[in-house]
Amino acid sequence: MEQNKLIAELENLKENFDATIKYALRDARRQEKIMVRSDQRQRREYDELQAKLEEIQALNAEIEESQKEVLFTMGAIGESRSRETFNHVRRVAEYSKLIALKLGVKPSTAELLKMASPMHDIGKVGIPDDILKKPGKLTHDEFEIMKSHAVLGYEMLNVSSRPLLKAAAIVAHEHHEKFDGTGYPRGLKGKDIHVFGRITAIADVFDALGSDRCYKQAWNDEAIFDLIRKNSGTHFDPEIVDIFFTYLPSFMRIRDTFRDF
Amino acid sequence: MESITIESLFIEQTKYTPSISLDVEKQHFQIIGKSYPENTFVFYSETMAWLERYFTQSLDGKTVIDFEIIYFNSSSSKLFFDLLDLLEEASKQHQVEINWIYDEENETALEAGEDFKEDFESLVFNLVEK
Repeated sequence: MEQNKLIAELENLKENFDATIKYALRDARRQEKIMVRSDQRQRREYDELQAKLEEIQALNAEIEESQKEVLFTMGAIGESRSRETFNHVRRVAEYSKLIALKLGVKPSTAELLKMASPMHDIGKVGIPDDILKKPGKLTHDEFEIMKSHAVLGYEMLNVSSRPLLKAAAIVAHEHHEKFDGTGYPRGLKGKDIHVFGRITAIADVFDALGSDRCYKQAWNDEAIFDLIRKNSGTHFDPEIVDIFFTYLPSFMRIRDTFRDF
Repeated sequence: MESITIESLFIEQTKYTPSISLDVEKQHFQIIGKSYPENTFVFYSETMAWLERYFTQSLDGKTVIDFEIIYFNSSSSKLFFDLLDLLEEASKQHQVEINWIYDEENETALEAGEDFKEDFESLVFNLVEK
């Protein structure tokens, strides 16, 4: 009897054990399956995300590139009407960015200015050809019309709330202001002129003097440096003039990289 | 079987959790969406308890359960196994039919459906392409 009871207990135990093992095994197998599937899934999702990210990055780059191209082309349209070159706007863009960085402007803002500065003369599309392309000196009245390109450019660009076009509007509006208040269109003085305006003023003049234009020959470097030095505090922001001469080799390198042929 | 009254249950979809609709009258349940709950077992506890109660009733005709899960985390997969265990148990006394609905392009959802189907041979488990 005792023996039978033990056997019965053991058999009972075995049965429970088998049942438990069966469930444990089933659960372990499921767990295994879940893990394997989950790893596969994560990998697939990771690949998908990466692919989408790359696509977005490529699209972003595409957008930025087209934006740049449009801006430079628009700038060049303004320039082409006065026979200035595509490279002129590129050089002015690079000079402007360099000055901005050396002034301690945030890199992203310096980049914004670089993109915006090619538009500084876009208002010239509204100036009649006989004035724009006149060889020789403009009459007083002609010059007044010529001067209106700053406001024209501003009005063209100021319709947008995009930071880039806002910046371009400022540049167009203020790049002919002078530090002593004798510039146009508003006769702003000193730091009342937006830093973008003060930067583009010197970048534009430096480049324009070094190039042949319909009304003049290119100046030699010494004459240009002399003019910039003499106009420090009158036409140009003295702080920017200092930066210009401190980093002169960098400016010359830019001029060389994007020179006209 | 005891006679109990049980109300339909509806849980709205969120960014991380599926919509759950348990319609007593139609005997039709749906779990649709993504399943990434912060705590999976807490999120589904109400549904699990509800289903357990539901199957304690005497029922006429079949109960249909649609799963249409687009994305899910691994603890959701574990929970679906538990849920299917519950349904398998219920299928011993009731007529239960499961539709695992997946999008043609969602390989993951199809694979998961195949895994479940394989594990629950006694259940009526249909893989339904959308």
